[in-house]
Amino acid sequence: MRIVIDVLIVISLFFALAGVVGMIRMPDTFCRMQSSTNIATLGILGVLIAGILYSAVCLHDPAMAVKLAVMMVFYIITNPVGAHAIAKGAYKHGIRRVDEELACDQYGEDLEDEE
Amino acid sequence: MKRAKFSAVLVTTILCFVFWLLITGQITALIAGKPSIQVLAAGCIVSILVAVFTARFFIHESAWYLLRPDRFFTLLLYCIVIFPIELIKANCDVAFRAFSPKLPVNPGIVKIPTEMKSEYGKSMLANSITLTPGTITMDVAEQDGKTNLYIHWINVTSTDPEKAGDAIKGTLEKWVGRIWP
Repeated sequence: MRIVIDVLIVISLFFALAGVVGMIRMPDTFCRMQSSTNIATLGILGVLIAGILYSAVCLHDPAMAVKLAVMMVFYIITNPVGAHAIAKGAYKHGIRRVDEELACDQYGEDLEDEE
Repeated sequence: MKRAKFSAVLVTTILCFVFWLLITGQITALIAGKPSIQVLAAGCIVSILVAVFTARFFIHESAWYLLRPDRFFTLLLYCIVIFPIELIKANCDVAFRAFSPKLPVNPGIVKIPTEMKSEYGKSMLANSITLTPGTITMDVAEQDGKTNLYIHWINVTSTDPEKAGDAIKGTLEKWVGRIWP
């Protein structure tokens, strides 16, 4: 069982590393947010699932496992709300790519139509 | 703001109380058969108070909607099997993009139509899309009676709404549509 837990932690560390590398290398704000979602999903969930297994199997503490599961549920529910707010706020604030244009920007076109 | 119905308050109370049991760790004490009466009573009072004040924000439609077994198990199946598969696929894709030396990104914002009618369906689809790496929902807007999602996509392969919609929503919309039409 310890092997499964360790593998889960290593997988989530790998995705967290990928997310950080992406955040440094990506060209603009929105792509950096995409990369940070990598950390936010598999990076966190892997560690939490490993924690659930560890507390349930190795520590024999089901109450703690249940709390970790509740944490996971709340995390999944609340994370995208923040991502919407950041993305929309950054766009309306006028943050765009510096070096080249977006491949397509149907949101900007529709916003101009409304005004 | 209209007043909350009694059934909405009741369902919110039940949900709050279940979360109280889970977070205080009383669920294991209940299973073992020696719950602490004080904690349970405090949980009851707090969840009734919270439900009275928040039910009108929490439940707008039929209160017992999700408690029907087929919908509930579809939701469970979606959360445990369908969505994680999509999540792992997208995660590997974005991790590959981050590590590859040429940085193959082609970002853009596309508009895709959705068939969802109910509020919960729309928000669940938008949240699922945001949680999938590579796509972020930026806005939900209604236009001519149709609902459109504006999505920032890290690798735009098609700007046509239908094709982009298929590529982004994939199986997600079908499954969310089974839970909330």
